[in-house]
Amino acid sequence: MLKVVIPMAASILATGVVAQTEIVGNVDSKCIIISETPGVYGNPNPYQLTTAPTNGGVQPIIRYDVLAADYYKAVIEHPIDFSTSPTLDDVVTWTGDVEVSEMSDTNMADYDTNKVEYDNAHEYEMSVAGSTWFKISSTADYGYTKSFPAGQYTAVVQAECIPL
Amino acid sequence: MALLAFSLCSPYSYSEEVYGTTNNAATFGLNWVMTNILPSQAGLEVNGLVYQYTAVKDPETGMIVYVQNEYADGSGYIFRNADDWTGLPGNTIRRKFALPNLGAELWGPGSIEVEGEGSVENASVVYSYRYDTCFDPQSDPNCPGYEEQVEVPEIAIYDPLQDPLVQEDLERKARIQEEEEEQERQRRREQWAVSNALEDLLADGNNPSLIDPVAEAMALALTSRVLPTNYYNGLEGREYFDTVVLEGGDIADNAKARRSNLAQQLLHQQMVDSQYESSQQETK
Repeated sequence: MLKVVIPMAASILATGVVAQTEIVGNVDSKCIIISETPGVYGNPNPYQLTTAPTNGGVQPIIRYDVLAADYYKAVIEHPIDFSTSPTLDDVVTWTGDVEVSEMSDTNMADYDTNKVEYDNAHEYEMSVAGSTWFKISSTADYGYTKSFPAGQYTAVVQAECIPL
Repeated sequence: MALLAFSLCSPYSYSEEVYGTTNNAATFGLNWVMTNILPSQAGLEVNGLVYQYTAVKDPETGMIVYVQNEYADGSGYIFRNADDWTGLPGNTIRRKFALPNLGAELWGPGSIEVEGEGSVENASVVYSYRYDTCFDPQSDPNCPGYEEQVEVPEIAIYDPLQDPLVQEDLERKARIQEEEEEQERQRRREQWAVSNALEDLLADGNNPSLIDPVAEAMALALTSRVLPTNYYNGLEGREYFDTVVLEGGDIADNAKARRSNLAQQLLHQQMVDSQYESSQQETK
């Protein structure tokens, strides 16, 4: 028995083995954006489209779920043009706003106070873990009180979660 | 064949877990009673809570809002969460909590309490719950573990007290007892009359027939005996300051004391009689 075992061991040592193994890692985002309520434009005046609820509109609501505090900032841009619309031959004047409508932590209450605005963008430091609901308002005025052409109008709110 | 046997041995039964949510508990105010909110389903458990409200306040002021439920037995809070709005502007808050299936019977009154300056508007508190439709297997014949109710035949219960013969015998015994008691009362009344008569007699101190003549003669002999002189002579002198002198030399019988003794005996007898009377009344 001994004579058999030794040559086999020798042959293994002589052959050698090379192995490779992988290390796989998956990173899930700790910031999730969910469109909770799609917006609707009301048309209180022929020249105006607005999301104001008093004028038949619905304000879109976007929810940010942040699992780790202080690692992200939210940037939300209210619309400044239509993504789809009939042909427009006059100027559209856009106004809009973004504000925190609901929160899951009282420490998010000063998000609006501390936000940074530039152009049509509203930038929030997501300094508290939890859910934050942002409500966007948008109004489009066509020409100088000129009636919008009939048709369907669509505008897009862009929401981003940018890692810091 | 085996499939047929299995199907015969396993009757169709099911148990279903139902999940649901309550209406807004804060619809009619910031205080609510859970029995009015949760369904009255056996085995119901609360597994979550979502609340939302808008805090209206000055950013400079302090304000804490408690959303809470007491334990049903009043031993503290089964759920309580505080939102500290101090130094923050008011806004709408929405929070949700997963709870470890707490039985409905544990949940006491709920409330939203504001501490500090500010108010709460548009409050909403919604509980989520679950229950097993077969929590009580007897609630539905389709529930696993359901046991057919065995019909117990109605057995006529014999009540001996309702038997006419027994009743007659009991009445006869009651009559005899009543007669005996009446006789006893009569005997005591007579004894009582004799005792009263004796007392009246003793009240008369000049009745000589109440004194035993033999005893009186013996007492007289004892008191009239003259002692020999050697009983009082020949004593060696010392000092004998006091000399008792019995004037008249005759001690009369104390008739008052004798009456007193007899009167005490009479009182004692009255007391025993009254105890007997009261004990007889109690046994009735």
